[in-house]
Amino acid sequence: MNLNQLDQDRLAGKLGKAMQFAMETIVTAAHIDQVDCLIDISFAHIDACFYNGRAHLDFVNYMLEHGATLAVPSWTNNGLVALNDLTVRDPLASREMDEARQLMQAYVKLGCNPVWTCAPYQLPDRPQLGAHIVGSESNAVSFYNSVIGARTNMYGDYLDVCAAIVGRVPCSKLHRDEARAAELVFDVTKLPQEILENDLFYHLLGHVIGRRSGHRVPAITGLAPACCEDDLKAISAAASSSGRVPLFHAVGITPEAESLDIASQGARVAQIIELKVVDLQQARSELGVNTGQPLAGIALGTPHFSVSEFERLVALLAGRELHPGLACYLTTSRHVYQQAQQRGWIEPLSLAGFRIITDTCTYFSPAINGLKGKIMTNSAKWAYYAPGMLPVEAVIGSLAECVESAVGGEVMLDRWGEL
Amino acid sequence: MLSITARVLIPGRASGSALVLDDSLSFWGGFDPALGEIIDVHHPQFGQRVGGSILFIPESRGSAGTPGGIAETLRNGSGPRAFALGERDVNIGVGTLVANRLYALEIPVLAITLAEMAQIRIDDRIEIDRQGLISVSRQA
Repeated sequence: MNLNQLDQDRLAGKLGKAMQFAMETIVTAAHIDQVDCLIDISFAHIDACFYNGRAHLDFVNYMLEHGATLAVPSWTNNGLVALNDLTVRDPLASREMDEARQLMQAYVKLGCNPVWTCAPYQLPDRPQLGAHIVGSESNAVSFYNSVIGARTNMYGDYLDVCAAIVGRVPCSKLHRDEARAAELVFDVTKLPQEILENDLFYHLLGHVIGRRSGHRVPAITGLAPACCEDDLKAISAAASSSGRVPLFHAVGITPEAESLDIASQGARVAQIIELKVVDLQQARSELGVNTGQPLAGIALGTPHFSVSEFERLVALLAGRELHPGLACYLTTSRHVYQQAQQRGWIEPLSLAGFRIITDTCTYFSPAINGLKGKIMTNSAKWAYYAPGMLPVEAVIGSLAECVESAVGGEVMLDRWGEL
Repeated sequence: MLSITARVLIPGRASGSALVLDDSLSFWGGFDPALGEIIDVHHPQFGQRVGGSILFIPESRGSAGTPGGIAETLRNGSGPRAFALGERDVNIGVGTLVANRLYALEIPVLAITLAEMAQIRIDDRIEIDRQGLISVSRQA
């Protein structure tokens, strides 16, 4: 292991016990990954603030008690509870919820920037092309690598915090050029234009890519240059749910894929999968079948809603009210919430019947209040995970279909929705 | 008696009965760390508890939450006594390292080849030493 003098001092405990523990963890990770050098990072997105048992709290308390400080700007992922609205998951109802709240507060104390979002890339001052960073939440790892061209592996809990304390990570996998070359292609050129223009398409595409990529880096050819960050976010989240896709390239769109040749680093790509409408139909049915059960609600904002998604929602709703009795949830970050508030969107959406939540999400247990039965969502990630963790069945639709269904009180699919 | 020399990811001594997973498992979402139980309904060993075993995992599947699931099951005593992995897995290694440090445990994590793992049967008696020697005995 090539450790510089400072690294050796950290490991020997000369900079305190918290630093020693963090450094030991980084060195162990390098040993497991079989790399012999470390690399400086400039940013970390911390997932360990998401409660997963008492051990999480013991870990951060150890670090705090032994004087840990953070070496790089470190932003928090979602928590299990909403710190600013204790009624979302009733944190006082159980020891776990109370510890989940304590855990989030401990990370604020450690010095994290409490943005509480799974879509930190929607906030200002995000990392730039080529920056070595630590990402943890799977959709954010994929977005940082793919859409921004920053470099991160999928860092798990504890290693994310240790890396933020040390400011270094093992120089492995996606930190290196050679691991970033496209190895297979999904070609969407032959799909009808109206499909490419529908926001649901990007969720279904991501689902297919996750299913079929295995451990290879995929590239997509044929996407419209007009496709926006919300669409690329959808691919990131969906592909990281149905599979393991920490990096994809969208040729002509994402920064390391000016051409397929550049994305593949000059190598010939062995496999090209030409996507057909039937592939999207299959993805849609894998993400939920519209049974006869009545619609109980809708869930939007997985990953967290962006300003542009709020804008589209307000336009689609066009001043109408949601059907009474439905549980309609929208999750976003505090930052985007504030932006939406300044634009005058929060009040009318709330009056229309939306419950807008920050800091957390709706797809995992314990269920936020009132979420059960048949839920419609615009998110492949939500549809993939929620039925396994909550007493719900999912139906996926475009944002427009979700709005029409929420207004009408039953699942309404548009013509494209017949897919 | 069969013996395998593993690559040591986290050193430690352990002994117990082998439990070999038939499929990859995420320790967040697919595993209940309070009970040490596989709760992924798609997993062939759904409902199986891993407590006290030497856990052989041919393929890893990680969410960012995996180290927390590992550390929590080791903390509360519902976890395995050792891990033997067919793929190097930083998440399981880090979760174990953290639990060992916080709770003064000595849970080893070893890496072996898939061919070596294929020789292990459920309920084989396993002994592991700090150098990564895995001794396997089987009742006739």
